[in-house]
Amino acid sequence: MPSYKLTYFNVRGRAELIRLLFATGGIPYEDVRIGRDKWPELKPKTPMGQIPILEVDGQVYCQSMAIARFVAREAGLLGESSSDQARADMLLDGGAEVGELLKEVVLEKDASKRAEKKKEFSEKSLPHFLTLYEGFANDSGHFVGESLTWADISFFNMMDFLTAEFPSALEGYDKLNKIIENVKSNPGIAKWLKERPVTDH
Amino acid sequence: GVHCGACRKMSVYELHYFNNRGRAEPARLLFAAAGLPYRDIRIQSEQWPEYKLKLPMHQVPVLEVDGTMICQSVAIARYVAKVTGHAGKTDLEQAKVDMLVDGIDDVMTKKGDYVWHEKDETRKMEKKNAFYETTLPQFLSRFEKLLLTNGGDGFLVGEGLAHADAWFLCLADDVLLDFPDIFTPYPKLAALVERIRTYPGIKEWLAKRPQTEF
Repeated sequence: MPSYKLTYFNVRGRAELIRLLFATGGIPYEDVRIGRDKWPELKPKTPMGQIPILEVDGQVYCQSMAIARFVAREAGLLGESSSDQARADMLLDGGAEVGELLKEVVLEKDASKRAEKKKEFSEKSLPHFLTLYEGFANDSGHFVGESLTWADISFFNMMDFLTAEFPSALEGYDKLNKIIENVKSNPGIAKWLKERPVTDH
Repeated sequence: GVHCGACRKMSVYELHYFNNRGRAEPARLLFAAAGLPYRDIRIQSEQWPEYKLKLPMHQVPVLEVDGTMICQSVAIARYVAKVTGHAGKTDLEQAKVDMLVDGIDDVMTKKGDYVWHEKDETRKMEKKNAFYETTLPQFLSRFEKLLLTNGGDGFLVGEGLAHADAWFLCLADDVLLDFPDIFTPYPKLAALVERIRTYPGIKEWLAKRPQTEF
């Protein structure tokens, strides 16, 4: 069995999807969380000056989505056919776009600009996204086929961040709520959600 | 099309985008490298408001495969690479290809930020300078090292062309328009660009593709 070592800050951020996937697959890994003070020393040793990084038997990989895809593949959560996998990829990428828009809201320092951005996001970008994704979900509460894939888990993770700003965002989206339930009730994920460090983001 | 051995059917591929290279070009390069026929649809801007409503996320590019629509340029390129055998051979190679694509995507997004999103002319110029003085050289210097971890004289990952190389050529095409000498400090990357440009199939496509500004 290869050895996996994930390094990131002590937050959920760009590593949490990876941690959720390890948990779903029941794959043991070292969940290294470094203090900000240790980062300048580590940075030049990383492939692109960023974390998270995943070390697999000594080889270092970066880019959170690339790492997540690799772990999803090892955990059997990628999707079966190439077209299933492409569907999962596209849904993840679309989710990441909305994630970036959410970040712009959250990171805005000017109070009145922030209120403006938040309003625009909650009135336009967010409903547009959720309506599309409700359409992508099937009745059994899955985005790809009839079983859990990383597309579902990634959506759950994104909603975790989003509902911190917009608590009632998912009200009325029956199929999306089913997806959330399916993810939360996966044994590996349920255990991780109970045990994971509580961080503000 | 690609022969599905079991059902003896050729898949039909249609790529929807505007008339430019943009975020469709990596997929076009991969089709060309495999000699895989596809319909290269270029939408006129007048058609766009109605056209987009038929698309999964109201955006292009979209790849339609026997009627199923896939959107998101990185997902599309990865899919074309998979069906044409240019995705990376092992799980770890695929992870490495993916990480390089994501790194290139990050840089392209930063460039797009000043080209498309910054409206103030002074800020635009400031951001462009920052891109070419800091962001891009940092990226190219890291990428030269990453290429060297694969030997330096072949493709980015493993033995053959992968979608990371297609994305890299697209980035190179773009930045070389602004600064033709940008690769001078990075000889291995310069040679890689030539290697991709002369790849059978890609060479012919580059000679005949519509010439567009971006």
